[in-house]
Amino acid sequence: MGNTFTKQGVAFETFASIGKGLVRTTGRQRVVELFVLGGVFLLLVPFLGTHRVTDFAIFCIFALSFDLLYGYMGRLSFGHLLYVGVGAYATALSLQYLTSNPLLAIGLGIVAACLAGMLAGSAAVRATGACFALINLAFNRVGWFLVMSPLKDITGGENGLSVRNLRFSYFDFQNPTFRFGFVLASLLVAFLLLRVLTSSPYGILLRSIKEDERRVRFLGYNTYFYKWLTFVIAASVAGFAGALTALNYAYVNPNTLDVHANGGVIFACLIGGAGRLYGAVLGGIIYMVITNLLPVYFQRWELLLGISLLLIVFRFRGGIWGNLETLYRRLAVHENTDRSLEGGRPR
Amino acid sequence: MMYAIMYGLTIGAILYLISIGLSLTFGTMRVVNFAHTITYTVGAYILIASVRALGIPFWWGGLLAVLVAALAGYCIERLVIRRLYGESLDYTFIATYAVFLIGVDIVKWIWGVYPKPISDPIGRVADLGLMVFPIYRILVIFLALLVFFGLELFIKKTMVGKIIVAALDYKEGVRCLGIGVEKYFAIAFVVGSLLAALGGVLYAPITAVHPYMGLHVLLLCFAVVLTGGMGNLRGTFSAAFVLGMLISIVGRYWPAGSEIVVFMAMAAVLFLRPIDI
Repeated sequence: MGNTFTKQGVAFETFASIGKGLVRTTGRQRVVELFVLGGVFLLLVPFLGTHRVTDFAIFCIFALSFDLLYGYMGRLSFGHLLYVGVGAYATALSLQYLTSNPLLAIGLGIVAACLAGMLAGSAAVRATGACFALINLAFNRVGWFLVMSPLKDITGGENGLSVRNLRFSYFDFQNPTFRFGFVLASLLVAFLLLRVLTSSPYGILLRSIKEDERRVRFLGYNTYFYKWLTFVIAASVAGFAGALTALNYAYVNPNTLDVHANGGVIFACLIGGAGRLYGAVLGGIIYMVITNLLPVYFQRWELLLGISLLLIVFRFRGGIWGNLETLYRRLAVHENTDRSLEGGRPR
Repeated sequence: MMYAIMYGLTIGAILYLISIGLSLTFGTMRVVNFAHTITYTVGAYILIASVRALGIPFWWGGLLAVLVAALAGYCIERLVIRRLYGESLDYTFIATYAVFLIGVDIVKWIWGVYPKPISDPIGRVADLGLMVFPIYRILVIFLALLVFFGLELFIKKTMVGKIIVAALDYKEGVRCLGIGVEKYFAIAFVVGSLLAALGGVLYAPITAVHPYMGLHVLLLCFAVVLTGGMGNLRGTFSAAFVLGMLISIVGRYWPAGSEIVVFMAMAAVLFLRPIDI
């Protein structure tokens, strides 16, 4: 009897320590973290194929950027796809008119999304709650209309725009394997960037703004500036995802900034667990699996998506990762009480 | 130009009918209701189904549609909205968005994804001296005005209306008087759904009916409600007609820009007078 107890204790301990290691990160663990993340995506390749996994990774970058805004700063936006669209169109257009170097085009795409974020952000961050979400939604809609009709001559309107000049010295974006490697590397870079940002004092400030903005302002911080900065960073990372989308499909159409698709990224963040970078990645993978694989077997996937969103809101606020964390924590507490009991027991 | 003005009045009337519910729901329950226009879509679809399949006349079909949509509104309130009182805005947003997804998918399941047209039930035009204009649209404008004055009367004269308006202003105060506000919120919600369905029924002959028609109108209605002030019924009325006019007049000279203008107006209003929620 005693033997099984100790065995369970060890099992609990390893389980809990893995959990703690993943939750709490320090210098060296970041490297391990990146290896694990890359490994997960490499493991997905044999099951889903390179094309799909590349898609998944791009969506995960987007989900990460949204998580910075929603999960960490607590500002729900219903128009974050605008920056994906801006990044994608800027990349495609600069490859057509300005340069023949895809890397430079990606850079230009990020810069364009960053500028758009600066402009829209300066108006949006003044609002809170529902107004913030709706203002962003309005901006997104305006962007969609601009692409669809007034700028039709440049953007191709509904027909979309095919991306040229995908090849530059060693960088061959026509090769799926290279594309996959490049996107995976970008995901890791974005993840690392956001990990460093969110675990820095700046990240703590963001979480404080989420908890109670008035108190943070009372401490002497200019919260508008920090909110604006976060908005711009999130927009830039989303623009990065957009640029990669353009290069991945070699084609851009207005669907990249369709307002309706914003629900997807919100769902991804929530199901994975908002406010946790792993949650965003996990949610991104799950959402992509649902939307990519489920329609093949089950036509009514939107119904399923709606019902699971309701379930998350009413029952599982923390999402999958959040619930795993509480499970770890409970196990750790369990293990600690066990040990204290053992210590307290007279021998 | 006259035609643009009349057309703007029609759009304004429809927008007004749909926006009331949104404004009421927000003002009383602090819930931004994404699922609001699902009753609008359902209303339009039931009208078409009853006219085509059952073969009953347009106006009776419309009545049936409005009643069924009110029932749907009651179910939504009972099952989802009621659990969201006092929740943070994000979660109400997401939950009602989920309801929207479910509703759209059910509509697609039953009726398919292709747009369905329906013809104008009156089909005659009136000669107004300067121009000819379909009688149906004049009727729509009159109905909206009727609803506006009806609501004003409802608010001024009946106890239920007085309680709802008082709760719009100060919910805790009403609760302190010993009135169970939840019941009245449910009434407000059902009235809102009913009027949205009426909007859907009236708009169906003017536009095509398709599963995502709700989303498109919803964005415009958010603009109306935010411009007019959330929970402010007269503000909603004037904002609906002003924005409807804006859509129509801008659309006459620059068709692509008609909807951008609405969102620009909304962003400008919010920028000048941010609503702190």
